[in-house]
Amino acid sequence: MTFELFNRTFFIATDVLLAYIALIGTGLGVLYLVNRANKWSVIKDYVTTTHHRKIGVLYLLSATLFFLRAGIEALIIRTQLAVPENDFWVFQGDKFNEAFTTHGTIMIFFVAMPLLIGLMNVAVPLQIGAQDMAFPYMNALSFWLFLAGAILVNMSFFMTASPNAGWTAYAPLSTAEFTPEAGNDYYIFGLQVSGVGTILAAINMIVTIVRHRAPGMKMTRMPLFAWSTLVTAFLILIAFPVLTIALYILMFDRLFGTSFFSGEAGSPIYWQHLFWIFGHPEVYIIVIPAFGIFSDVISTFSKKRVFGYTSMVVAIVIIGLLGFMVWVHHMFTVGLGPVVNTVFAITTMLIAVPTGIKIFNWLFTMRKGVIHLGTPMLFAAGFIPTFVIGGVTGVMLAVAAADFQFHDTYFVVAHFHYTMVGGTVLGAFAGIYYWFPKMFGFKLKDGLGKAHFWLFLIGFHITFFPQHFAGLNGMPRRVYTYTAEDNIFIFNFISTIGAFMMGIGTLFFVWNIYKSFKNPDRCGNDPWNGRTLEWSVPSPAPEHPFDPMPQVTTIDPLWEAKRNRGGKLPVANTSRSAPIDVTSWQPVGFSGLIMLFSLSFIYHVTWLQIVLGIMVLAFFALRTLTDEHTKMAREGEDHDNI
Amino acid sequence: MKKIKWLVASLFIFLTGCNLRVLDPKSETARDQSFLIQFSFALMMIVFAIVIILFVWFLSKYRENDQNKDYIPADEKGSPWLEITWTVIPFILLAILAVPTVSITFEQSAQVESTPANAVQIEVTGQQFSWTFSYQNGVETVNNLRLPVDRPVEFTLRSEDIIHSFWIPKLGGKKDLIPGKTRRMIVTPEETGTYQGKCAEFCGREHTKMRFTTTVMEESEYEQWLQEMKEKIE
Repeated sequence: MTFELFNRTFFIATDVLLAYIALIGTGLGVLYLVNRANKWSVIKDYVTTTHHRKIGVLYLLSATLFFLRAGIEALIIRTQLAVPENDFWVFQGDKFNEAFTTHGTIMIFFVAMPLLIGLMNVAVPLQIGAQDMAFPYMNALSFWLFLAGAILVNMSFFMTASPNAGWTAYAPLSTAEFTPEAGNDYYIFGLQVSGVGTILAAINMIVTIVRHRAPGMKMTRMPLFAWSTLVTAFLILIAFPVLTIALYILMFDRLFGTSFFSGEAGSPIYWQHLFWIFGHPEVYIIVIPAFGIFSDVISTFSKKRVFGYTSMVVAIVIIGLLGFMVWVHHMFTVGLGPVVNTVFAITTMLIAVPTGIKIFNWLFTMRKGVIHLGTPMLFAAGFIPTFVIGGVTGVMLAVAAADFQFHDTYFVVAHFHYTMVGGTVLGAFAGIYYWFPKMFGFKLKDGLGKAHFWLFLIGFHITFFPQHFAGLNGMPRRVYTYTAEDNIFIFNFISTIGAFMMGIGTLFFVWNIYKSFKNPDRCGNDPWNGRTLEWSVPSPAPEHPFDPMPQVTTIDPLWEAKRNRGGKLPVANTSRSAPIDVTSWQPVGFSGLIMLFSLSFIYHVTWLQIVLGIMVLAFFALRTLTDEHTKMAREGEDHDNI
Repeated sequence: MKKIKWLVASLFIFLTGCNLRVLDPKSETARDQSFLIQFSFALMMIVFAIVIILFVWFLSKYRENDQNKDYIPADEKGSPWLEITWTVIPFILLAILAVPTVSITFEQSAQVESTPANAVQIEVTGQQFSWTFSYQNGVETVNNLRLPVDRPVEFTLRSEDIIHSFWIPKLGGKKDLIPGKTRRMIVTPEETGTYQGKCAEFCGREHTKMRFTTTVMEESEYEQWLQEMKEKIE
């Protein structure tokens, strides 16, 4: 719509206008409620915290908000595609392309990643007997950098410059020649900034797991969620720098006139290689932690230790390794030749073997157990058939010649939603229901949780199962409409119904959180009859939870203690000193600075780039000169000085 | 239950899916691909069925009830034999799948060196957001491809601007058009008719509208059409 102001005519798209109204309205509402309940101190506490549980909660909260945003985009996409030749609102052409680009980007980077990293933050230190993450300050910095990146990508919509080259941002479409608007710069800087946060989080996880396990907690006694976190952290450490490089080069092509991805010497194929060398490990980065969650949940709710612990660990490691050797299966139609295509087809198929091992181990963990179908276990149980469908279509896609047909169709869309929603999202929901008591001291309501589960799962299958057939009937990805002669109306229509069902399911989840806070059922340390160390400490987990420090003598130490020692864990003689907890405005301040710095590049303001660049460097100096150790040592406190 | 019913109904559509374009091949290339799709699907259904049977069986048999709710299951670490079983059997299934995969993929991914003697040469140029087809006698058409039946066609694929992907589902899988590079693809249509063609790689604002129709006609009609088009230009 257009409007007159100061004798000038302005144009604003109605969807952006509505989003502004909704954002400002919600923002004011939240401010009012916070003010009325006098909760400013809580907000200050969370903004300056370096405590792993609170940072975990921040990750989960922001992931949930972004999940709602990208979910609304999914509903918009499905509405536009509900019937042939549809003209829904403004979502045709570029607007539609922007919607699916930000849907994908946000769901992968700002929903899947923070959901899992949030759960790692909450659970992993408690599972291995650590007092906190190894580097609490850096942990806060990881979160705020992630959030700065996420806000950059999210604000692009409000600046009417959403990225529009797909979440894969293939060059040369993503270069300045074809998309000169600021949209893809937002994409580059958003992912770059949050990527730094993710790499720091991975380093933190690795050091925490290697250095801060309780006495006796050998690697071979670690819970599987901790193991999957360790493997994931290594995958991040190797894969994310490749994304950093790819985005860096693309930034040079867009902003500084280089031609890495076009022209005589450059090639658009380079982008695809770089992107998928990152991108394929990325899908394992977001599914392996979910595997870990399911292992812990299935074992706890079946009252049995996980079946084939060693083969479970080996399987995760092999999946992680193979994950780096399969990227060309995203590029079968590029024409890289017969040898490349067949080799990558074979390596891709091989991943089915360790994944199959895990599936059967989960099934046999349930066998001869006593399966209590609480909400976390429902999500874990729903995961198995769903993920297996995604897995078998994965093998079908690995068949390179068949992929010439599947590639870039709705068959692929169905496949990766089966793996990512079936794996990551169900896993994250299972984890949230499972560890919620450890975060807040009370459970989410079981009845609402079940309604959430069934609506979401049934809605999911109704949405994505028909998409296999739409793809086989020739529907390409990323199209905003189709004709009646395409004969894909019925598949799309059913799919749209399912999408709204998933939406209602998600509302039940949000409602559940509200109701549970309104009327909490306090549940004590161990609401699920748990097996691992996190259930031995109070809920919500306090700072320095392990006092005295337990001595771990077996896998599932708490379960063993409950069976043989009347629930008392043996006490260790030695204990590792705790990392230094501080409260600091620095992480949030620095991330704000980095965000402004990014904006100065996105809008080409050279003087601001220089000023903010100097400020960023000055910040490094400030941080280098901040010394918490000496102060702590003077006060005579016991601390870890790695 | 609802889910399972839905699944069975959908599988039925799948198995009788002859009217799905990808599974209704009109050339040898597409037929081989369709065979691979159905073969891999059948193999994978074995896996899927086993998992579902175990899943339903264990979940119903060992679910918590009033009798067993205080029972503590025996500690069970695993079973090497079972674990070896579900490592080896998938390997065997994948080996079975790998044989046709490798042979067909190798053949279909090969760079085209020699052109069949009687091949029709057509140059395909993709640009935002249309297709241009140039025939040997200098005729050019836009978004409208005509082919003779039962003769090999060699497409020479080039892009004017960004990456597109050339796809006629009933005649075979897609091939990307990479700016600055030339790709070749040979297919032999075996039946007359009109088939959809599409750009399968997202290429910008009107990617959706970057479609073309392929008309496969009798050799004589094709020659006549080419002649008429030629006369029109002159």
